[in-house]
Amino acid sequence: MSENLVPTTLSTVRTLAGVTLTRLGRGKALWIGCLFAALPIMYATGVHARHVKPAPDDLFKISLLLLALLPAMYIGASVGEELEDRTSTYLWSRPIARWAVLAGKLCALTPIVIGLIVGGWFAAIEIWTEAAPSLASCLALTAGCIAASLVAAGIATVVPKHGMALTIGYMLVDLFIGALPFSLNELSITNQANVLANLGHAPIEITTPLIAMVVVTGLWGVVSFRRVKHLES
Amino acid sequence: MSIVVAENCSKWYGHVLGVSDVSWKLTGGIVGLLGPNGAGKSTLIKMMGGLLRPSRGSLSVYGQSPFYDVRVRRRIGYAPEHEATWDELSALELVTAMARLSGVPAGKADKAAKDALAQMGMTGAMYRRVRGFSKGMRQRTKLATAIVHDPDFLLLDEPLTGVDPVARVDIVERIKRLGEAGKTIVVSSHVLYEIEALTSDIVVIYRGQVLAEGNVYEIRKLIDRHPHRIRVECNQPRAIAAALAAEDHVARISFERSVVVIETRDPDRCYDQIASAVIAANVAVSALSSPDNNLGAVFEYLTGDGGRR
Repeated sequence: MSENLVPTTLSTVRTLAGVTLTRLGRGKALWIGCLFAALPIMYATGVHARHVKPAPDDLFKISLLLLALLPAMYIGASVGEELEDRTSTYLWSRPIARWAVLAGKLCALTPIVIGLIVGGWFAAIEIWTEAAPSLASCLALTAGCIAASLVAAGIATVVPKHGMALTIGYMLVDLFIGALPFSLNELSITNQANVLANLGHAPIEITTPLIAMVVVTGLWGVVSFRRVKHLES
Repeated sequence: MSIVVAENCSKWYGHVLGVSDVSWKLTGGIVGLLGPNGAGKSTLIKMMGGLLRPSRGSLSVYGQSPFYDVRVRRRIGYAPEHEATWDELSALELVTAMARLSGVPAGKADKAAKDALAQMGMTGAMYRRVRGFSKGMRQRTKLATAIVHDPDFLLLDEPLTGVDPVARVDIVERIKRLGEAGKTIVVSSHVLYEIEALTSDIVVIYRGQVLAEGNVYEIRKLIDRHPHRIRVECNQPRAIAAALAAEDHVARISFERSVVVIETRDPDRCYDQIASAVIAANVAVSALSSPDNNLGAVFEYLTGDGGRR
């Protein structure tokens, strides 16, 4: 053996992110995701054509619904398939930190999820109100995307075979809990994203929703990284 | 120095036993891991490759645990048994990615991947996507991913399974060349002649235990103690039976219509004598086979007979 080097974590994450993006680009998932992301735009276009009074809340709900679909479709499916199809055996036998595999996938796919959901929201609001959406609403959706991506990664490491389906199920329950009129809704990622978006434009306190989102996301992050560390293939 | 040391190593998958109380040392060269399907070969290979942890006992490679020690995995090249790969990538992209993940610097990964694919005879197909590859091409690509970072120790899990006879000879030669270049190689197979083509050092594994290890000829002697059945389908089965009946190596002769089944303890001698009888009596043979050519049956015999080591 000529050189006894192990790859740096940054190089591992970059390589895996590159592979993930190449594979995504050559499959159908990206285009299906684009179709889903176009839903708010289609809705806004249809409503705008009928000269109905704008109600950004409705559009935001569609974007929150996409939080249940797109992270599951990209992160849940990608992580789940890697573990279920046993392509992970190529990775676990390499001199790399296992968590870097998850990090690589998240670094590649989370920006896509953010781009599609926030981009869809931005374009839809532009069409509907002929004005850009608030920065708070875009940041809230971005935070929701990151949180939902980590949830998807966590679920897919625990149940790889049904990573996508269970993530969709979890996020639909999250939407339901978020709509409940009592404190259980604090655990809902979509509810906290809704609060942070502040579409009512009344002054709000952002610390509590942010902390709640970080705690739920952090728990799923810990689950996924711990699980992947001990997985056997 | 031992490259692999397994001490009372066991692995369970829930209640299913993968490997049971294996104590074994590997010092170098090409070693064949022989056993029927489900014997525990893949489990042992995966433990050596750092994919599995022993449930009990210990297994070290170059003195370290391959599951926990990242640096020791840099010295290991592993080609899995299964076919799943990143099919959307071309062979070159796949092998380059594996080179990068094995610590080959960015500037050298592309060249290392091309060299590894060339070593496996894949230069002409390296820009094609893996999705369209035949079984043989997939095996070669897998082998290229295993050698791309120039490891000292190669683990090849059933590298010849499903490969056509021409590709088989070629892959065997390429693996032998790697051995001649100083690599330590463990190759698993459930087919004795595949292993014999690669090495004379074999380890026989059955029901999760190392049943025998050593030179292939010593193992053969053990295996040959098991009466070997030869089935001859011909127009004069009794002529063949008459020629062999008095031989001391023949344990039993039976007939089924135009078929004679001979059980022998010396297959080589028996095959010669059948050939002589066929010529002498002008027998028309329509088929000759060995229904016993099944390691499972031989291993059952060896365990039942106490033929352990």
